[in-house]
Amino acid sequence: MFLQRLNPSLKALTIMLFVVLLAMIFDPITPLLFLIWTVSITFLFGKVAWKKYTLYFIPFLIFAFGMLWTTIIFADTPTNKDDSITLFGMTYPRESLLTALALSLRVLNVAALSLLFIFTTNIVHFILSLMQQLRLPPKIAYAVLAGYRFLPMMRDEIKIIHDAHRVRGVNQAKTIKEKWENYKRYSIPLLASSIRKAERTAMAMESKGFTGEKNRTFYRQFSIKKTDWIFPLIMLLGFSAAVIVSLEMGYLKLFS
Amino acid sequence: MRPFVDVRSLRLRFETGEKDILSNINFQLHDGESVLLLGPSGSGKSTLTSCLNGLFPRELDGEMEGDIFIDGKKTIDYRPGELSKQVGVVFQDPETQFCMLNVEDEVAFGLENIGVPFEEMEEKIEDALELVDMQDYKESAIATLSGGQKQKLALACILALKPSLLILDEPTANLDPIATKDLIETIKNLREKIKFGLVIIEHKLDDWTDLAERCLLLNREGEIFNDSLLRTAIRNNRSQLVEQGIWLPKVAQFFLKDNPDQMELPLTVEEFAAYPSRFAFVAEKRISRNSSESGISILETRNIAWSARKRDIIKDVSLSIYEGEFIAIVGANGSGKTTLSRILSGIQKPASGSISLKGKALKEWKESLLRQEIGYVFQNPEHQFITNTVYDEVAFSLKMKNEPAETIREKVYEILDTFGLLELKNEHPFSLSQGQKRRLSVATMIVDGQSFLLLDEPTFGQDAQSNAELMRLLQQRHERGATILMITHDMEIVDQYASRVVVMNNGEVVADCTPESLWDKEAKNLKAWQLELPVSVQIKKIHEEEAYYVSTTS
Repeated sequence: MFLQRLNPSLKALTIMLFVVLLAMIFDPITPLLFLIWTVSITFLFGKVAWKKYTLYFIPFLIFAFGMLWTTIIFADTPTNKDDSITLFGMTYPRESLLTALALSLRVLNVAALSLLFIFTTNIVHFILSLMQQLRLPPKIAYAVLAGYRFLPMMRDEIKIIHDAHRVRGVNQAKTIKEKWENYKRYSIPLLASSIRKAERTAMAMESKGFTGEKNRTFYRQFSIKKTDWIFPLIMLLGFSAAVIVSLEMGYLKLFS
Repeated sequence: MRPFVDVRSLRLRFETGEKDILSNINFQLHDGESVLLLGPSGSGKSTLTSCLNGLFPRELDGEMEGDIFIDGKKTIDYRPGELSKQVGVVFQDPETQFCMLNVEDEVAFGLENIGVPFEEMEEKIEDALELVDMQDYKESAIATLSGGQKQKLALACILALKPSLLILDEPTANLDPIATKDLIETIKNLREKIKFGLVIIEHKLDDWTDLAERCLLLNREGEIFNDSLLRTAIRNNRSQLVEQGIWLPKVAQFFLKDNPDQMELPLTVEEFAAYPSRFAFVAEKRISRNSSESGISILETRNIAWSARKRDIIKDVSLSIYEGEFIAIVGANGSGKTTLSRILSGIQKPASGSISLKGKALKEWKESLLRQEIGYVFQNPEHQFITNTVYDEVAFSLKMKNEPAETIREKVYEILDTFGLLELKNEHPFSLSQGQKRRLSVATMIVDGQSFLLLDEPTFGQDAQSNAELMRLLQQRHERGATILMITHDMEIVDQYASRVVVMNNGEVVADCTPESLWDKEAKNLKAWQLELPVSVQIKKIHEEEAYYVSTTS
């Protein structure tokens, strides 16, 4: 699987680059074509489970649709009123429709690019690579890693505290306000134990010789190989193709 | 010969503290020497660890006087991180010693810190894991390991750095007896393979006694009051040891009970087995259990089952619990003890089967009325605290019922008095000591006259004194007619207090009888259920065998 083996830092930078590039395009055709390109790459080179992918994609679809709708409804008065398109028995000014489509497709593009990254990247490898390629200070990197370990522990603990309070006879929260009150009550035991855990972890890390200095070696080596550059190239290829097609069709509109 | 560790008149005080945590500490350790460091909770044992591995004074909010030399060089003269190559520590809590997600990365973390070249790491990681017999878990996620395996991994991480001194800071406090034995066995094997000095910090002595002869004793004021062989200490300072809440080995305790003036005490069962006749043995007078069972059933379960993530945790359990029983639930970790207790108390609904309390189905009980019948004490007392003072904590459930202020006051004062918490009534629950927190959590669960009390490992990780105190309170409660059900790993407690013992194995009840009949079950069964005989029974058996041997040969 080509995407999984990519250098995570380079992958992240590429994704960011194309998010910026997309922000400069204001027509619907380029993002549409590029969206198809990104999703195809994800499935071709990432072997992502499509069910999971769809599940994560749905919220973005809803958001994009909402955006489409509001942009059409609240659009500025178009310069060319006569130029309109009829869709599902309603007539819209052509210009507003195109802008709305461009915006919502951009949202979907950002979503697709992020999902490509999330589904094909091991978070630990990403952080290790950030340290090795992008000089992220180890202090921050290992703090994030330790915190990442803590999340599931905290989730379990909230559940236990919830049960423990129930046994004490705390009323079951029904309204949102009561729920909020309950969470406020959970916060003290949760904070107390989290602070204690964090302190212990810090002590354990220090006694293993961790100082936060940058001169450390790495067990998992990450480097940018020549083949890693294929990914940005492929993406650039898709992007340029999308721009050219859009230009040929006479749609291309840049940010100005 | 120059000592490897040399501590000279060490004194330490935290910024927030009113008194010294450690004062006038002086001792030396030679290369490869091992020593037991004993002291009650709060005697500064862990603080001393931080001093020895150079964390203090660098990270200390407070003041430290005196000098510590490691290998002839002051700890403050080592660069940060450098001392980790000399002194390694395994801490108490298995959950919080790691910062990576899987085993090999975690071992590598230490090696990376001290700058071991990438090419050498693989081999060092494998060597370290092999030393603790964890090589098969190299690529496992840390979250999937058991508590005992996590402690062995923590040990491997330290061993990879090849320190000359290993400090074990109550490494078994959060482990069950089987995992404890396994870890100690691992360390014993290590001593034969590699050379290192060893400092064992503990408040329980069992099983450690053959690893170290010399023992340092700390008192509550943070002073060393004894530096001698363990045997000598037990002979000469026995009363102080008990006073300071340090657990004598169970075998020694057993002999002292009948013969408080006995000088020579065995420290392990093996020692007794080797020369049974050397130690004065008084045949045990069985304490008659207060069998106050009334024969009235209060809780009935029929064929209850529960599963999580496609794994059956509880399979087809039917139990009847009678008024006035003292039930112990025992079994290996993961056998479903906690889940069963949660189902019995109505916190967790079973997937199938029925439970009835006093003849009425549990699900038909109104939550608030149910809580007046059943109290449940969680493993970590802090989880159950709701209010800001000890008084309010106990008064909480009474206030919920809108009882008159005068009655509440009376009831709360009475309970606080019995539990020895009256003087602390205005303190914040979180500021109490471990033992006090535990007592408070039990107090909150019985103030409303709850007659059925469930406890999830209430004696875990506590010192001897707080445990004795807690068991005394529970016993008192039981004598007044309360029904008690507790999960425990401690077979001494089962033997001394329980009137009935329920053994869980893989989600099933495999034995349900009196403790005496459990001890008489076949050894291979007990082994399969990961149960150990209590010391008194072990000794009795050895004694009987001996008597048999003598009578057949003569």
